[in-house]
Amino acid sequence: MLALSRKINESIMIGNDIELTVLDVKGDQVKLGIRAPKAVPIYRKEIYVQIQEANQEAVTQSAEGVEQLKKFFQ
Amino acid sequence: MKITTKFYGTMEVEDDKIIHFPNGIMGFEQYKEYALLYDEERETENSIFWLQSTEEETLALPIMNPFPLIKEYHPELEDAAIEEIGPVTPENIVLYTTITVPSDLTKMTMNLRAPIVINLTTKLGIQIIAENTEYPVKYPIYAIVEQNKEGGR
Repeated sequence: MLALSRKINESIMIGNDIELTVLDVKGDQVKLGIRAPKAVPIYRKEIYVQIQEANQEAVTQSAEGVEQLKKFFQ
Repeated sequence: MKITTKFYGTMEVEDDKIIHFPNGIMGFEQYKEYALLYDEERETENSIFWLQSTEEETLALPIMNPFPLIKEYHPELEDAAIEEIGPVTPENIVLYTTITVPSDLTKMTMNLRAPIVINLTTKLGIQIIAENTEYPVKYPIYAIVEQNKEGGR
C-alpha cells in the first residue's frame, strides 16, 4: 500500500479525475473530501463489505431450500 | 437468448428482458447481465423473484418487492446513483430488496440498506446503498411475512 502524508487542505490525485482532500483532522477522526466522476461509486468500506457478504450469502440457496421457501411464500 | 438457470433449468429469455447492471452487484462485480425470473402462476404480494445471472448459472439472488411487507420503508437514494440507470419515472422504476435465507427459514432477513433498482425503459439496474444509515443489511422478516399472510386471508 502506498502511504502519503498530507496536511489539512492538501490533496492527492488518483488518475486524472479523482481528487481526495483532507478537510479536517480531529483526534482520531479524519474528514475527507472526494471529487470524482459521478460514475465512480464511493462507499464506506465496512458497509460495502457487509453488503457484499449479504449478497454472497443470499445466493447460497439449495434446491430444497428453495422449495421450502416457495411453500412458505405461497 | 438461451440461458441456464440455477433453479429452472435451461430457458429462453427474450433479449429485451435482460437487465444490464453496469457496476455488477456487490460481491459479484464481474457479472453484469441478469434476467428477472418468477413463477407466474404463484405471483402474490409476497412473491419471490430471482435475479438470475445470464453468465453464471449458479448466481441467482432471491429478491422481493419490499413495500407490501415493510409499509414504512422509504429508502433515500442519491440522485447521482439513480442517474446511472437513465431517466426514471414512477412508471418505469422498480425496486427490489435481496433476501437471505439460511437453512432455518425463521432466520430469513431482507437487506433494507442496499435495494436493487431497475429502470424498465433502459433495462439498466443498480444496487444502491441507501442514505438511511438506520436500515439494517439483515432485517429479520419471517414474522412479518407470516403476519402479512394472515392479513391477506
